[in-house]
Amino acid sequence: MRKAAVLGALLIIGAMLLFAIGKMPAMNSRNAPDKTHVIPRYLEKGEEEGGAKNIVTGVILNYRGYDTMGEVTVIFSALCAVVALLDREKRGLSRSSPDASGVRSSVIVRTVVRFAFPVIVFFAVAYMMLHGEGSPGGGFQGGAILGASVIVFTLAFGLPESTRRMPLKVRIPLESTAIVGFLAMGIIGLAYGVNFLTYLLPGVHGAMAQTVRNLMMTVIEVGIGIGGGVIFISIVFAMMREDKYELQPDVPQP
Amino acid sequence: MNFSRMFHNLNYVVSALLFLMGLYTVVVKPNLIKKLIGLNIMETSVFLFIVSIGMVEGGEAPIVAEGVKSSQMVNPIPQALILTGIVVAVSTTAVALSLCLKIHERYGTLNAAEILGRGEP
Amino acid sequence: MNWALNLLLLLFLVTTAAVAIRLRDLLAVAIVFSAYSLMMAILWTQLRAPDLALTEAAVGAGVTTVLFVLTIFKTTRRED
Repeated sequence: MRKAAVLGALLIIGAMLLFAIGKMPAMNSRNAPDKTHVIPRYLEKGEEEGGAKNIVTGVILNYRGYDTMGEVTVIFSALCAVVALLDREKRGLSRSSPDASGVRSSVIVRTVVRFAFPVIVFFAVAYMMLHGEGSPGGGFQGGAILGASVIVFTLAFGLPESTRRMPLKVRIPLESTAIVGFLAMGIIGLAYGVNFLTYLLPGVHGAMAQTVRNLMMTVIEVGIGIGGGVIFISIVFAMMREDKYELQPDVPQP
Repeated sequence: MNFSRMFHNLNYVVSALLFLMGLYTVVVKPNLIKKLIGLNIMETSVFLFIVSIGMVEGGEAPIVAEGVKSSQMVNPIPQALILTGIVVAVSTTAVALSLCLKIHERYGTLNAAEILGRGEP
Repeated sequence: MNWALNLLLLLFLVTTAAVAIRLRDLLAVAIVFSAYSLMMAILWTQLRAPDLALTEAAVGAGVTTVLFVLTIFKTTRRED
């Protein structure tokens, strides 16, 4: 009975969606309304105004800078919520049940991860964050890959090893770099009396202006990347640890 | 209803279908993790819909390069919006799963009907 | 955009979503959802969105799956 009611409601919603899709302009068309107003200008002047060859990066860091600020706030709030619910891990003492069982992951997994880990980190930092304005990539993409690489390391070598390598006192300042770096670069513009997130500051001209702009964008990209990556890592560590397997500091470790 | 246009707009139709499948899971399945999978499917269906709007025939990625005219590029705005959306989606999933862990700790089950029926343990 | 590849990817998306909804073993659901995200990443490259493809492959197929598997590992594997 309940299932029939749900299916009926879904049928009505689906019919409404299909009706709306039938009224939409054909996909792939160049004359659809979304591509005729502001987009030609973004595509033509994006490199000049946004300061990045990758126009998506230009849109994220310049035209729609407030969106990005909101996004950074959202992931930081998510970290706060997860930590409030599940608590932080203790350095070298927190374990998950696979760590507590004492069975190590296979030698193949550990060797592959040991060789792949530096390559993935290099890819994330050098290709994604530092070169994000000229090719596909950028802060969030690099941060996601950085976080994923450390998560792979944790799955292969266990939580105590990971928390010893990346202790809490290193991660806590890094978690806030994303939002602090972004706000700092945005407020520089306000201090000069121009808009939030303006990279071309008044009083700076010529080659110097280009250097300043590239420097500011790099600071934002690397800040968002490192901050976002470390936030993902902290969320996974908080979800991995289990209270009942926690070691006591005074008990000698097995 | 014009079916040839429907076929031409296939991405839109598939995203509507995925949206309905996700909605069905969220409403009907009692398990909280299954509901979250449904929520994720709904999110990706909306992402697919919005990025498909920005596609153009024979388009190039919106990256300034030699021999690519700006009139050939696809719309960069949906891509920037959805990039934000993907990161927000994983943040909400992380918070929801942490809540699932706490619920399981307290009630010993992840079945929404059981939890609602039982009341305070 | 190659329409045949596009069609194939869309079919695969619908199939994996249906399988993820039907299966009752939650660990299998998480793995199938990871395959769904990977197909979505390939579809983003077809839609000329390389930034989205990179993010989806790392976040959707990687981090989200790890979070689901961790939760299932610490709670119950059977859906009931």
